Amino acid sequence: MVKSTIRAIRVDQNGDASVLKSTTIPHPTLQANQVLVKVAYSGINFSDVKQREGFYPIPVPFTAGGEGSGEIVELGPDVQHGFKVGDRVTFMTFGTYTDYAVVDTVRLGKLPDHVSFELGAAFLAQGLTAVALAELAYAIKKDDWVVIHAAAGGVGLLLTQLSHHLGANVIGVVSSDEKAALVRANGADHVVVIPANNSGSYEALDKKVKELTNGQGVHAVFDSIGQATFESSLEIVRRQGTLVLFGSTSGDIPPQKLTRLAAKNLKLTWVSLFLYTTTFEEFDVLYQRTLKLLDEGALKVQISKVYEFEDAKQAHLDLEERKTTGKLLLKVN
Amino acid sequence: MVNSKARVIRVPEYGDVSVLKPATVTRPSPTPTQVLAKVAFAGVNNIDLAERSGNYPTPAPFIPGREGSGEIVEVGAEVQGFKVGDRVAFLGQSTYSDYAAVDATHVAKLPDHISLETGAAFMLQGMTATGLVTRSYAVQKGDWIVVHAAAGGVGLLLTQLGHLLGAHVIGTVSTEEKAVIARANGAEHVVIISSGYEALEKSVSELTNGQGAHAVFDSVGQATFDSSLNIVRRMGTLVLFGNASGMIPPTSFMVLSGKNVKLTWSTIFNFITTRKEFEALYGEAVSYLERGQLKVAIHKVYAIEDVQQAHLDLEGRKTTGKLFLKIQ
Repeated sequence: MVKSTIRAIRVDQNGDASVLKSTTIPHPTLQANQVLVKVAYSGINFSDVKQREGFYPIPVPFTAGGEGSGEIVELGPDVQHGFKVGDRVTFMTFGTYTDYAVVDTVRLGKLPDHVSFELGAAFLAQGLTAVALAELAYAIKKDDWVVIHAAAGGVGLLLTQLSHHLGANVIGVVSSDEKAALVRANGADHVVVIPANNSGSYEALDKKVKELTNGQGVHAVFDSIGQATFESSLEIVRRQGTLVLFGSTSGDIPPQKLTRLAAKNLKLTWVSLFLYTTTFEEFDVLYQRTLKLLDEGALKVQISKVYEFEDAKQAHLDLEERKTTGKLLLKVN
Repeated sequence: MVNSKARVIRVPEYGDVSVLKPATVTRPSPTPTQVLAKVAFAGVNNIDLAERSGNYPTPAPFIPGREGSGEIVEVGAEVQGFKVGDRVAFLGQSTYSDYAAVDATHVAKLPDHISLETGAAFMLQGMTATGLVTRSYAVQKGDWIVVHAAAGGVGLLLTQLGHLLGAHVIGTVSTEEKAVIARANGAEHVVIISSGYEALEKSVSELTNGQGAHAVFDSVGQATFDSSLNIVRRMGTLVLFGNASGMIPPTSFMVLSGKNVKLTWSTIFNFITTRKEFEALYGEAVSYLERGQLKVAIHKVYAIEDVQQAHLDLEGRKTTGKLFLKIQ
């Protein structure tokens, strides 16, 4: 029997992790091209933190979370692409820390039988992001030199694996020796440790890159850090190289004179997965590619912790304190 | 015969065209890796205007000129492949001068059938345009590209190249006369910019079913930047390569995040830092010229005494094609 209210972790006002409130909301209704999914697991991403802080123009109040897995329980009348009630799916949508998620049939994929709900919620956003970064934002080629910041994080680890799989020379950047060991085990050829309480200096990275590349620099830098790393990223990328920005966990890069790129004819891009997946077809291409890489073992998702539904706040705190590696999940049903 | 002095045009301090003054200096000597060219023609380019105005990090006083053609009169000790008497085109510095000492890396021998005028006219702009459509953004058949200043020196070459590579070229110009020239050079559509860029944005939207252009080639700078961001498509590329209208103010890269856009700023020098790279890019560019696929439009040859007028004309945006100074 369908309950009239469901559980949800809500954000009523932007702020720190304490603003996440467990509450109940009315059972959602569907638009014509949407499906209703009973959520098994919600993935936890750094973008959830940014959303909660008010970084994106999402009006409060809203249900937290952007990624999940579960079973379709209801179809809107215009749903296409062969989805049926009972399908096991993985999806990205607004509002996944909740019993039932409303999902447009755009960022929605059927899970193969051999992929569990845990893995389904764990690999989607970060897996597709890693693939989009390595193949769309900058197409990594064999023998390229790449630097990956936050290499032990969710996206970072997958990107490290994928870059290695594509034959690149991978330099990972992390904040501790434990993370360094993990990143090496995931395919990084070299790792530079920049401790979190450093004065903010990336000299050690600049020096290492120069040594490894005979002073030329790397073909691409994948940088989700933002302000703290920008000058270093400009320094270590090679002439005609590419700077791929996809986050600003340390804060926004201040406005720049664009002619700075002319010093080395650099390419610079700022990307988000959302804008690589604006149609079902675009999503499906990335989704199928990611599934294939998972099946081949080229990508391995490491779920480091599964939090109970009521512990969403702790999950955010752990993520913000940079203690975590790999993927965090919220168990919903 | 090599004179011991060189007549030059010198910029003692940044300013308007009146700072361009004739002077006489000791003839430069080439370093071991340079050649000394007796300059026949010196190209006049937007970069010269920027340097003269102080909008480029070239310290004053200086002698302008980044390009030229002429005859080699002296060869540095370590230079290979060139001899006295070779007819050459070159990139370098201080080419508004009877004699220019230039790095052998950026010197190309001119075959007999390419005149010194064409050699000087084509080098900087031909290589810039070729570099932009291959290395900055590789133009594909079927692409929609917008070329600003489509009747300018580089603009005309970009338009021709874009068309040659099978792209749909939308050119922007400032007058009807320029529109005619842009169309004659392969622009499928031309938008005349009078005030603001709304007409361009509307045109691009209509022509591309609302999707936008795969690439925008923009040397205009401040006046066009916002509009260029509006007309480039999701995942498209914004190729910036000049500041003709003024510097773009410091900008947050978040402006790219709305469409996963790539941004690049290219100068030709970073495509040709080694001899191998120079030969590759020059070779590609000149083979278009030799096959008749690219035509260089020469706007006017100015006597060296008329250098101020040349700068005024280029700044006044009345010109189409190449300007240069006849030195000797």
